[in-house]
Amino acid sequence: MSLQEDILHRRRARVLYWVIIAIAILFFGRLYQLQLLYREEFSTKSVENSIREISKEPIRGYMYDRNGRLVVDSRPSFTVTIMPYEFSREEIPYLAGLLSLDTTFILDRLKNGEAYSRFAPVKIRRDIDFQTLSALEENHERLPGVSYQVESKRFYPTGARASHLLGYTKEISDHQLKSLGKDYVQGDVAGASGLEGQYESTLRGRKGMEFSVVNVRGQVVGRLEDGKQDNPSTEGEDLLLTLDFGLQQFAESLMVGKRGALVALDPADGGILAIVSAPDYDLSWFSGVTPPRIWKQLNQDPSVPLFNRATLTRYPPGSTFKMVLALAALEHGIVKPSWRVSCGGSYRVGTKVFKDLHVHGSVDMLTAIQKSCNVYFYQLMMKTGLDPWSAMGKAFGFGKATEIDISEENPGLLPTTAYMNRRYGPAGWTRGFLPSLGIGQGELGVTPLQMACYAAALANSGICHQPHAVWGVANRAENRIDTLSLYPPHRMPVSAGSWKVIREGMRRVVEEPGGTGTLARIPGITSAGKTGTAQNPHGPDHAWYVGFAPFDAPRIAIAVLVENAGFGGTAAAPIAGKCMERYLTGGSAPQTGDAKTPPLASAIPVAPGVAQ
Amino acid sequence: MWNYIREYFDYRTFLIVTALTAIGLLSIYSATYDARASEIFGRQLAWVGIGAFALLVVMLLPYRLLQFLSVPSYALSIALLVAVLVMGKTVSGSTSWFNLGTLRLQPSEFAKITTALTLASYLSRSDVSLRRVNNLAVAAGIVLLPMVLIMLQPDFGTALIYIGMFFPVLYWAGASRFTLLSLLAPGVVALAALFGTTAFLLAVLAFGFLLYITKENRVIAALVFSAMVLIGISVQFIYDGLKPYQQKRIAAFLDPAVDPRGAGYNILQSKVAIGSGGLLGKGFLRGTQTQLNFIPEQWTDFIFCVPAEEFGFLGAGTVLLLLILLLLRAVHLASAAKSPYAGILAIAIGGTFASHIVVNIGMSLGLLPVVGVPLPFLSYGGSSLLANMIMAGILLNLYAHRKEY
Repeated sequence: MSLQEDILHRRRARVLYWVIIAIAILFFGRLYQLQLLYREEFSTKSVENSIREISKEPIRGYMYDRNGRLVVDSRPSFTVTIMPYEFSREEIPYLAGLLSLDTTFILDRLKNGEAYSRFAPVKIRRDIDFQTLSALEENHERLPGVSYQVESKRFYPTGARASHLLGYTKEISDHQLKSLGKDYVQGDVAGASGLEGQYESTLRGRKGMEFSVVNVRGQVVGRLEDGKQDNPSTEGEDLLLTLDFGLQQFAESLMVGKRGALVALDPADGGILAIVSAPDYDLSWFSGVTPPRIWKQLNQDPSVPLFNRATLTRYPPGSTFKMVLALAALEHGIVKPSWRVSCGGSYRVGTKVFKDLHVHGSVDMLTAIQKSCNVYFYQLMMKTGLDPWSAMGKAFGFGKATEIDISEENPGLLPTTAYMNRRYGPAGWTRGFLPSLGIGQGELGVTPLQMACYAAALANSGICHQPHAVWGVANRAENRIDTLSLYPPHRMPVSAGSWKVIREGMRRVVEEPGGTGTLARIPGITSAGKTGTAQNPHGPDHAWYVGFAPFDAPRIAIAVLVENAGFGGTAAAPIAGKCMERYLTGGSAPQTGDAKTPPLASAIPVAPGVAQ
Repeated sequence: MWNYIREYFDYRTFLIVTALTAIGLLSIYSATYDARASEIFGRQLAWVGIGAFALLVVMLLPYRLLQFLSVPSYALSIALLVAVLVMGKTVSGSTSWFNLGTLRLQPSEFAKITTALTLASYLSRSDVSLRRVNNLAVAAGIVLLPMVLIMLQPDFGTALIYIGMFFPVLYWAGASRFTLLSLLAPGVVALAALFGTTAFLLAVLAFGFLLYITKENRVIAALVFSAMVLIGISVQFIYDGLKPYQQKRIAAFLDPAVDPRGAGYNILQSKVAIGSGGLLGKGFLRGTQTQLNFIPEQWTDFIFCVPAEEFGFLGAGTVLLLLILLLLRAVHLASAAKSPYAGILAIAIGGTFASHIVVNIGMSLGLLPVVGVPLPFLSYGGSSLLANMIMAGILLNLYAHRKEY
C-alpha cells in the first residue's frame, strides 16, 4: 500500500469516526430526552398500562319495617360486561341477538366505555337469566371480552308492595351520572324514585377498589403490592322504616281496584304506618331489567299507576276541612259552639245559591260537624272571613310541603287574601268565593298525606310532628344505629276548649246515630273522624275520610281518598275504619324482641314506641 | 506475554463482544421471565456456546484461507438463498428459514458475511478501480444479487442492511463523491417523495446542487439528475395510484403515530418502556412493560427496551456505548490494516453492524420506522448470533494479521 493511500485511508477513517460519533450523539440525545426529560410522562403511561382498578360493588342496604321485619333485601344477579379492547365489534349483532338488545345500544355503550378506558369492563345488560348466561358461556370462544359480573338486585320478601314509597332502582341516568358524582359509572344502579332515590347515598354504600397487575392481554397476574393499596367496598346502610308492613299489606288489599290513596300515621311521632297509592305496580318488575313492554304499559295506563297519589294529587278536601273553619271561628271568638243556624237546604249570597244535601233544621256546631251541614259552614265562613280561616289551615300545615322524607310531594294550595288579590286582582274576586271554601270546595288543594297529618294533629289536639317513613339508619358493620333527626314537634296556638269541641264533633260523626261516618266504626274502640265529598267537575265526586282512634289516646291517624267514588261516608270511611281496627286489634302483632338490648348483630331493633 | 497477546489478540473488541453478549443473555432472560423462559433462554445460551466456538475458529483460521473461501462461500450462500425461496419455512409472513431438525437457519444472515468477503476480495484486486463503471457495476452486482433474493422472501429489513454495508465500502475503497452521490440520490429522493412534494423538491434541489459542485462530467450529471427527478415523480404517481389502505400502510410505516393501535403500538410501548426506565431503571426483572409483555416479541427486535427499562439511562447508555465502541474498533482496524482486503472487509463488517444498530435502536427510540432487524449480540436468534460471532471472529482474525500485506 502506498503512502498516499495510507493518508487517504486515515482521512476516510476520520470521516467515518465522525459519522459514528454523530450517530452516537443523536442516540444519546434521544435517550436523554426519553429517559430523563420525559420520564414522568412515560412512567405514568407504564403504570396505566399495567395497573387495573377493579371496582367492587357494595351490597345495597336493606330495609326493615317498624317491627324489625325485613321488607327489602338484595339478591345476586348477573350483569353482562364487555372488555372493549378484547371485544371485536363484528360480534355485536350476534351478541345483540343473544341478549335481545339493539345493536346500536351495544355500540353506544361500547363507545362510551372506550372513551373512559379500553381496559375497563362496560356493563351491557343487567339481570340476565340462567339460560342466557349458559348461552354466553357456550359461545365464550366466539365472544372474546364478553364476561359477566355478579351484582345485586332488589328482592321484596313480604306480600306488601308499598311501590310508591319504597321506589325502585334503575340503571343510572345520564342526569344522575352528572349530579351524583364520580363514584358512579355508566351501567351502575342507582335509586330512581321513592326511598331508594331519597336515601340513595345511605343505601348504596361505597364502592371498593382493587388494584391488580395485568399483562398485555389484560390477564390479572397479581395484586399490586399484595393488595396493600386496595380498599374494600363498604356495605350500604339499612333503612329502618316506621311502616307496619302487616298493616300496609292489609291497606293495599282494601284499595285494590280503586283509584286513590291511603295514609296512616302514628300521631305520637308522625311515623308513617301505611301509605298506599292505588293503582300501584309490582316493584319486582323494576328489580332487574324492565321490559320495554311493561314501561310502555305503565306509562300509557290512563290511571297513571306510577303517579304517587298519596303525596302528589291535589284535590279539594271537601267537608273534611270543616274543622279548620270551626277552629278558626272559635279561636277568633266569632261564634260560640252553641251558635245555631237554621238549615233550609240552601244558602244565598247575592245571586249565587249554595246547596246542601239535606235540610238539617236548626243546628249548632257539634251537630253541624256530625251531620256535615253545609249551610252552617257557609254562614260561619261569611262571618269568619278568609284570612283567619287561612291562618288556621296554615297552622295545620296546608299549603306547604310536609317535608316528609319522600322526594316527591305537592305543597297543595291554601288561598289567602294576598293570594286571591294576586290571582284575580283586588277587584276581581268577591266574598261570593267564600262559602265554597268554608266547606272545603273551590280553590283549595290538599294531598292525602297532608290530610293524614291533619288527622294526626286533630288526634293530638294540636301537636304536629314531621311525617316520616324512616326513623333510623342501621350500620351493620359498625353495629350502630343513627336516629334521623326531625323537626321538633310544635303545638298549634289553639285553646284546649276549642279542641275539645271539635274532637267531640268528630266523635259524634262516627259514634252517634245520624253521623256521616258511622261506617268507620270500630267494634269496641271509640274513634273519631270526618267524611268529605269533593266535587269534581270532570266526573263523579271524590270520597274523603280523615279519622283517628282510639278517641282518648289515639295511636293511629288516617286519611283515605277514593277517586270518583261518591260519598266519603260510604266509599272512604269503611276503609279507614277497617285499617284502624286491624292496626289497633293486633291484626299485625309486632314481633317480639328483647327490649333491653337491641344488638344489631342478632336482630334489627323495632321502632321506638312499638310494644316489645 | 502481555505484549504478545496485545499484538495478536484484539482483546478490546473481544471484551466488547463478550459484554454485549452477556447483556443480551440477561435481557432475554428478563424478557422471557415466565413459563417460556427456560425454553428461549436455554436455546439462546446454546447458541452463545456455538457462536463462541465459531468466533474462535474463525479467528484462528489462516488469513489466506478466509480470502480463498470468499467466492465459493458466496456462491453457496446464493444457492441457499434460492433454495430457501423454493422450499423454506414461512415465519411471520416471510420465507427465510431452513428447518434442520431442531435448528432453524436463516441463510440471509450468512449471506451478509459471504457478500462482505466477496466484495472485499473483488475490490482489493489491483486491477479493479471504482472509478471504472464496469468495475463499479460488478461490485454493485455482488451486493444486489443476494439483496434481491432476500427482498423476494420478502425481508425488507435484512435487504436494507446490504445498502448499509455497501456505501461505507464504496467510500472506503475509493469511489468518487460523484459516484456515491449518484447512487445515493435516487433512493433518498424516492423516499423524500413519499413525504410529499415539498420534501421531494428540497431533496432534488439539494442533490442537484451537490452534483453540480462535484464538477464531474456534466452530461452524466444531467443524466443522474433527470433519473432522480423521474424516480421521484413516478413514486408520487405510484403512490397516488395505490388503494387507500395501501397508502395508509405506507403512512403508518413512515410515521407510526398515525396508527397507534397498529404499527404505532410497538413504537409507543417501546418508548414507554424506555422512557419509564429513568436514570437507573426499575431493577432487574422489575420492568413492568417488559415483564407484562407489553411489547410483542420483545426478545427479538425490541430487546433494547429491556436494559433501558430495567437499568435506565445507565443500562441503555452502556449498551449504546459498547456498540459505538465496536464500530469505532472496526474503523480503527480498517485504517490500521496494511492490506486493502483487510481494510475493506473490516469496513464491510463495521457497516453491517452499524446499519443493524442504527435501524434497530432508531426504531426502539421511535426515530425510525418499524423495520425488523435484530440488534447485534443482544437480540434472540441463533442464525443472527452465529453470524455476528463469525463477523466478530473475522475482525479478530484481521487484527492478528493487520500488518500483513
